[in-house]
Amino acid sequence: MNVGEWLLFAAVLLVVPILTAGTIRKIKARLQNRVGPPLLQPLYNVVKLWRKGETVSEDATWIFRGAAVINLAVVLVVAALLPWVSFKPGLTGDDIFLFIYLLASARFFGILAALDTGSPFSAFSSSREATLSLLVEPAIVLSLVALALGAHSTSLGSIFAYGAAAGPAAAPVWIVAGCGLFLSSLVELSRMPVDDPTTHLELTMVHEAMLIENSGPNLALAEIAYTVRLTFLYGLTVQCFLHAVYAVAPVGMTLLAVLSVLGIFLLAAGTALLETVTVKLKWTRCPEFIAYALTMGLFACMAAIFRGGV
Amino acid sequence: MSYPELFAIASAVMAILMIGSGRLRINLLFYAFQTVFASAVTASCGLVSGDHQLYSIGLAILLVKAIGVSAFIAWITKRIGVTSDPGTLIPVPLSMHASIVFLVVAHLLASQLPHLKGQDHSLGGATAAISLLLTGTLFMLARKVAVSQIIGFLTMENGIYLFALTQTRGMPMMVELGILLDVLVVVMIAGLIIFRIKRSFEHIDVTLLTELKEY
Repeated sequence: MNVGEWLLFAAVLLVVPILTAGTIRKIKARLQNRVGPPLLQPLYNVVKLWRKGETVSEDATWIFRGAAVINLAVVLVVAALLPWVSFKPGLTGDDIFLFIYLLASARFFGILAALDTGSPFSAFSSSREATLSLLVEPAIVLSLVALALGAHSTSLGSIFAYGAAAGPAAAPVWIVAGCGLFLSSLVELSRMPVDDPTTHLELTMVHEAMLIENSGPNLALAEIAYTVRLTFLYGLTVQCFLHAVYAVAPVGMTLLAVLSVLGIFLLAAGTALLETVTVKLKWTRCPEFIAYALTMGLFACMAAIFRGGV
Repeated sequence: MSYPELFAIASAVMAILMIGSGRLRINLLFYAFQTVFASAVTASCGLVSGDHQLYSIGLAILLVKAIGVSAFIAWITKRIGVTSDPGTLIPVPLSMHASIVFLVVAHLLASQLPHLKGQDHSLGGATAAISLLLTGTLFMLARKVAVSQIIGFLTMENGIYLFALTQTRGMPMMVELGILLDVLVVVMIAGLIIFRIKRSFEHIDVTLLTELKEY
């Protein structure tokens, strides 16, 4: 095991999620003519929440307390498995379906914790969350399967490995799969067109209403888990686009490493811009948006099949 | 994959993305992208075959169909005050997925066609053309508002144009320009008819036009 590579990866995993979440907030504030919070505000929030006391519903059982920890643990395992930066050292057993099921299990425990508190708001938001995840899962699976078809392997490490340049013909599959993953990660992360992350109206929120009963350290854990999830999903999208670039013009490993971190911030800036110019979709129109993610996945599969002649 | 083929497939993909939205402005935007790619196919065909007339046809398509027609229909929708199309029998997202199936069908059909000798872009061009034709038909069938019928018709027209462009060695420039003029006139007339329908019925829902019989 390469200790140096792991240490670098761990450092990036510690720093990048905080900065990504901070970048989105900061740029969004600047675009709305506000000064905005400092870049490290997510970290300050977590520290402050950690010191606070908490109020737990009388109906809550150990599931509610356990779910936040399980969520964070699952998310960290996924972050260690998923090649969301080009320099992540490889692990054995990093299958795409393991990744998908781990994501689903994190969501499952989130929903379970929301139901456990007995609050009606968390109950209906968990029903919405379940609907969204049901709709968006095929899109993620299809995008990743398209990439797996190209690599003739379901191991994430070998799909996203930078080997010999595949030639410009491979670029469309990567670009389309990247678009599919980006659209699905917007849904997966409850970002703007589907859910407004800054809303405080209980009737419109999805993800935030699930966390409504959390306070103090529990909320801190949930926020850390969310920022890590945000980072690795964006990182995966960036890797797809970087592979498209690499297929056309192979670049050095150092530049790739820098680009994959910069790309995450670029995507965060793009999200901030998107969230400034668009409004949240009506709940009944969300499937229309998610259908586009699914379409991108289907296109990626078709492109991979026509290219590889499977 | 050659450039004309790539642009043709991109045009078909834009048509499929177009059919997935119920918003007329988004439909028009994707129609414009689709036509820009069709004009790119024309220009790159000219590059491959060395026929310089194709450049000016590509430019004419870009100006007339991609910009002029789209802007005209956008103006009509604004005048009438219609922003979205609820669709008829098939839900809007499902019609998008159905047209992906049509793309596969189009590829199977196109691979049965005889190839033009010395022209390596006829397979992708035929796939895109048949796919555009089927997508346009589905768009006309699955939508309620009269403006959508025009957009669907124009998509079909793009398909027929791409088929003629990629399966032959090019038509005389006068014929192409004549067709372009026809399309422009058809859109103008359709626009006028929509205004008349709106004035007589106070809506432009084509599924309710059979009420005409009762009066």
